[in-house]
Formats: sequence, structure tokens, C-alpha cells
Amino acid sequence: MDDNLEKPTAELKAEAGDDLAEEDQSSGDEDQGLDWTKLMPKAARPVIPKRGDKEYEPSKKGGSGLQQHILQRSRNAMFEALRADRTISNKSLSYGTWHPSIARVSVTVARGTVMGTIGHSVPRETVMPNGNLKTQKRLELLPEEAIYLIERGSLLCWKESEMEYLNECIFESVSGSPMTVQQAYTEMIGKEDLTMDRYQVYAYLKRLGYAVTRTKPPSIFYPTAAPYPLSSTASFSPLSIVGRISALFSSWISKISFLFLRNTFNWWRPLQFSNWFKKDKNYAFIFRSLRFIPSGNKVPIYIPPETKLPLSPYEPFFNLYKPPTPFRKSAPPPPDYQMVVVNARTTPMPSLRELTAIYDNAPELLPPQRRVRNPPQAQGVSYKKSATNPNPNALPDTQSQKPDQSTASPSQSSEKSSIISGLASWFHRKPAPPPAKPQRKPNPFAVLRQGKKTAIIATVDAGTINIFRFAQGAFEVDPWF
Amino acid sequence: MNPQHRIPIRVANKRAYVWDVDDLDKIRSEHRICGLLVGTLPHLSQQNVFLGLPAQLSPEEATLLVEKEYAVFVDDTNAYPEPSLGQFQQWCAEQQRYIKHQQEILKSESTKPSDVAQLAVSEAAVRKRKERELKRQQKALELRGIQEDGGGVDVESFQLASTPSVEVEHSIRPTTPSTSEPSHYNISIAASSSVLSWYDPDSCTFPTIEAAQAADIWDFPSNIKDRARYGVFKDLWEQGYFLGGGIRFGGDYLVYPGDPLRYHSHFCATVIESPTYAIHPMEIVAHGRLGTATKKTHLLCGWDDEQKTVSYLSIEWAGFG
Repeated sequence: MDDNLEKPTAELKAEAGDDLAEEDQSSGDEDQGLDWTKLMPKAARPVIPKRGDKEYEPSKKGGSGLQQHILQRSRNAMFEALRADRTISNKSLSYGTWHPSIARVSVTVARGTVMGTIGHSVPRETVMPNGNLKTQKRLELLPEEAIYLIERGSLLCWKESEMEYLNECIFESVSGSPMTVQQAYTEMIGKEDLTMDRYQVYAYLKRLGYAVTRTKPPSIFYPTAAPYPLSSTASFSPLSIVGRISALFSSWISKISFLFLRNTFNWWRPLQFSNWFKKDKNYAFIFRSLRFIPSGNKVPIYIPPETKLPLSPYEPFFNLYKPPTPFRKSAPPPPDYQMVVVNARTTPMPSLRELTAIYDNAPELLPPQRRVRNPPQAQGVSYKKSATNPNPNALPDTQSQKPDQSTASPSQSSEKSSIISGLASWFHRKPAPPPAKPQRKPNPFAVLRQGKKTAIIATVDAGTINIFRFAQGAFEVDPWF
Repeated sequence: MNPQHRIPIRVANKRAYVWDVDDLDKIRSEHRICGLLVGTLPHLSQQNVFLGLPAQLSPEEATLLVEKEYAVFVDDTNAYPEPSLGQFQQWCAEQQRYIKHQQEILKSESTKPSDVAQLAVSEAAVRKRKERELKRQQKALELRGIQEDGGGVDVESFQLASTPSVEVEHSIRPTTPSTSEPSHYNISIAASSSVLSWYDPDSCTFPTIEAAQAADIWDFPSNIKDRARYGVFKDLWEQGYFLGGGIRFGGDYLVYPGDPLRYHSHFCATVIESPTYAIHPMEIVAHGRLGTATKKTHLLCGWDDEQKTVSYLSIEWAGFG
């Protein structure tokens, strides 16, 4: 981030330096809940302290002397941090003008890396010095973008005015009366569909480093995010190569276990298919054929024809881009997430219809990645794996570290060849080359938990933000078959 | 209390804010109302742990402060008349003064550290370093002298040969501290509007809830649900508790025995709108479970809208287990 923004000013240092009481405070290292005393602007670059323990309750009559002293110290530290000036070097300050009639801030001087993901350019008619009208492109900010920049001390915003204020001092551009942060909150929230709840979520995400844009363009000049790529039907289709391979593979595993259990008949899979690569000869196909009641998320939900659909509060409002996502503000890519913002006090739970509407526009999620780098987490899976693998030489920990390779690892080649020959004889003497590195199915429970599609909801209750997600589980398709 | 001396609560879009730190201090220390900091803290603008001004008051907190005559509502949307040219010039002059003041501080600071920096490379320091070096060399020499038994090594020439290396070390050191440029200065963006001379809250101040509701800037409490929430909030506050939002803990309020800065909350309170409201055993189990998991006692607060009273019921695991 901008270094200049984070540096305390000369003023601050001077104020903090002569306060003797702070010496004691910064040296105290007892843990406290949200300890503001560690946030004194004394250090050149303040560090965010960790949360600590609070006390159970004050002793009688409002707390003992010590308790009151510590409380007062905490409070003073907090208020001192709040009093810090919002200052910025003149070399990194941006300037803008607030136009209440169009609910936009036009940027006259743009500086700093924050501007990289904020704002959009709009052609506007401007009066040239000679009196002619000319259409020029200019950078404009939505209300939430403007408030955020003002609040973090990156933008000096003037309010558009009829009066001619002369630039008599140090500012690079003067285009109206100066606005405070308070004025920006008061006048910009409530414009262009921006509510306080939405602004708070916006600022929360921006502070975390996301690039945030509107899902619904507020004007025709606002760049729309690229649509999600059409999800390939491969994952749905029973005829897909992946599906066939995985079906083959799972059967193959069971066949191995037959071999070793000397079992020729499986009660759970009584049918035997000789023709492996014919599309309509597998269990999935038979189970699907037996399913004569339509099911699953592809079946549209029933809406009685005469129902009037009320305007849903559950519409995605923000598009989110993770910090590493390459983001161009003129042509934003498909968003990493979309987020709905609702008021926790007034908005009830979303109806199935509202959720379905969100899912319909959401991209299909990729199956969850196997956790390869976390052996303790993947233990259960690898344990199963080694149980089906009759290799006595395989070390348990190499198994768990490389679960993807366990079936095709070179160390087991001798075992493997015998298995393959055994299998080949079993396959009616057909040369059936098993895939060299079969794609492992993801854990079905992880797939179910993640769902096919997701809806992220931020609820705000008088300033407290909670973010949670709904997921559209798919019980009727993969990975059960 | 005289309405002029009450704390101004700035209202915009039917939300209540406190923008001045002194006011925040007052409502916290004197009136046990905390609010919630929701703004970005300047200079720490990339984190969400510590937030800054403004403090947003929940509807209950703001209503309570106004009803108890500690505070007044200010309709902030109508408090910004256009500044006159004179007022604007005055503001410009203030900014100019502020920058001048800064530059003076910078100047005085930049001279002080340069003294320190010069001290490090001053004559005395160099001499001391050389002496130290010399002592070390002589010691080494003595050792060697013991070994070689005074094999004709000239102390003086050795010393001469070693001095250039000290010189080189000296010249690598950065000697001049960076000089401050007069074109560098900081611009301050004010948080609170009360610093603006043209800010005029007096014409749009409402000392009572009713007046604010009539002016359509405030709408709490508007229904039975709001009345129940407010009734419970007020009753707990009057008993001396601090209250915070309980949405993170599955209740309406968190009830603290002292300032939330220093003390944990004891209860998680749920507001029940009527004394005849039926509670299912499942809810009791859920609340009890939640309370145990968060080390709090769950508090069911029943509001009687006719009697305007609250009855409390606390749930804890019985522990037959």
C-alpha cells in the first residue's frame, strides 16, 4: 500500500513524544481484549496487537482502583488513536469534486495505487475555457468509492458549488467547498442505491484488500464484469471421459479387492459388464434409468402462475476480486465472488426462490481440491487407500504424503504388473490397459459440503457484519456413481 | 439539561453517528453507551481489527440517550449551508497556517537528528574508534611478540599501515542526513464537521424522539418488535449494565458487567415480544447449548407491552451428567 498513507505525521510524533504516561503504557505487556493501549501512535509504524484476556467482572462499586486505572488507560489509548489526524502528503493526495445531482465524484487529480482498482471513466460534456461544449472522458467514483478514499485519507473532495472559490493556497485544485468525512457519510450514503449497510461491507472488503465493484452497473458507462465461462457439460454428462474413467477406476478397485478376497461375486454389484467402454453399460446408467421422478437442481422450481414476485432483497450487489486476480478496471474479469448485502434486522431468511435466482446466475464451482500438502488432514483418505492397496512395503507416511500417486507409484510396479495380469485374465482376456495415472475422485462429502453453486450473504446489524454462504448441494449426481 | 449542552447525535439516513471523540468519551464513561466504531482508522487503513470514527449508535442506544436528555438529534443532511467567500478564505488561511506549523516542526526536527548523526562521525568518535583499533592491534602484536620473541616488528609502521582501512570505513558511512524539502507537507482531512465554521447544526436540532420522528429523520421504535427491543435495552441499561450487539452470539444483546473494553459479557439476551409467547423446548436446548459454548448464560427477556415491564429467565445446563 501507499507508504505515505501509513506514516504518522510530524505533528503526531511531536504530540506523542512529550507524553510521559505513554512510556509505562507501551511497556505493559499484559494481555487485554482489543488492547487499544498498544495502538499508541508512538512507534513510527504501529503494530496491530493480538487479542488477549479480559477480566470477568469489576469488583463492587464500579471496580477497584486498579481496575479503574486499567480501564481508564485503555479508554485513553482508544480515544487517542481515534483523535489521530487524517493526514496525507501533498504528493500523494488525490482531488475530486462531488456532484450531488449525478451522485458521482469526478476525479481531477488521481494518485496512488488505491486508484488502480477504483473508479470508472465516463464521457461527460464539459465547458471549455472558450465557452464551447466538449465531450471528454473523466474518471468518476461511485459514492462508496469516494467515501472510502476520503475516509482513508487519500482523497480531498470538494462539493460542487455555484460560488467561485478561488484557489488561494496550497491545493492543486479547488472546485467547491471542502468536505469532511462526516459530510461525505451524510451526503453520499443514500445516493445511487448505497445504504450504510452496503457501505460498511464495501469498506470491510476494501480494507481486506479485495477489489470490489457493483454487480449491477449503475449506468451504461460502468464497466460490466465479463460473464462466467459457460460451464462445460462434461461434468454432468454420464458419457464424459472423466466420468467413464472414474467409473472404470472405482470398479477396478473393487475388482482388486475381489481378487484378494478370493470373492467372485459381489452382492453390491451383482451385474457384470463385459463391454467396458460402451457408454450405456454401467451402474450409473442403470440407476439413472430407474429414477423416473425428476430430481435435482436442473429441475426448475414450481412457481404458481398467478404469484406476483416481490422485489427480492437477495440480489448480488458487489463483485469481489481477490487481490492476486489480475484486475483491469475498464474490463473486469468474471468476479471471484458475488455478495449480497442485507439488513439483519429487517430481512428474513431467503426463500428457496430467491436462493435459486442467485444460483442461476452463479458459476458452477470446481470440485474441491484434495488436500495434498496437509498429511494429517488427509489421513482418513490415505488410510483407506492403503487398506485397498495390498503392498506391504509401502511406508505409511509416504502414502499419506502422496495420496495421488499411491496407485501408480513406481515403487509398486512389481506388485502392479501382477495385478494387471490378473485383471487382464479376469477381463475375458481382453487387453485392458488401466490408466497410467487415474484421476482420483474427490471426497464425496467434501463435494457435497461445498455444493455445486454458492450464494454469499453479508448481514449487517447496526454496524456488525456477518458473512455466511449458502450452497446448492447436489445429491443426485456425482460423486455417488 | 439544557439542550445546548447535550451531546449532538448526527442523524443521516435514519442512522445515528457520533463524530467527536470527546462526545464519545462522555457517552461511554458517563452514560455507559459504547456505540460501534465503523470507520477506517487513518494510518491503519488495511485492517479490520481496530476501526475509527464515526461511532455508529444502534437505534436503541441513540433513542435512550435522547430520551434520557443526554443527547439531541441533529439532522446532518440540512446542516451544510454553502460557505461564504469569507468563510472559505478563513478556512484556506487555517490550512496555510497548519502547513506552516508543520514545516517549522519539520525544520526543528531535521536539525536535531542531524546533530546526532554528526556526533556519530565527529572527531571524537573517530578518535575513539581509532584508539580501540590500535589497542586491539597492539594486543595482537604483543601476542605475536611473545611468540616471535620480539622479532623486529615495528609498532609504529604497523599502525601507519592500518590507518587507511579505518579511513575507508569512515568514508562509506552516509554523512549527510536527508534535508527536508519545503515543498513536502501534509494535508489534513477533517473527520468531524464541527471544525467547519459554516457547519450549522443549530437550525436542525431535535431534542426529543417525537420531534425527530415528526421531522421524518428518525423512525425507532416503530412497531411492537422495536418497542420490545427498546424496553429490554432500557431496563438492562438502567440496572447498570453495558450492552452490545449480540448477533455474533445468536442473541439480541450481549450484557456486560462493566466496560466491554475490559470485561467479558455474562449474558446473551434474547428479546421476546410478549409474555404469552410460546417457547419450544428445542429453543431452550439451543440457547443453553450456545450459552455453554460461549461461556455465557442465556437470558430470555420477555417484554410486556401493556405493563411496560420486562421479566427475565436465564438458561444454563443443569449438569446432571
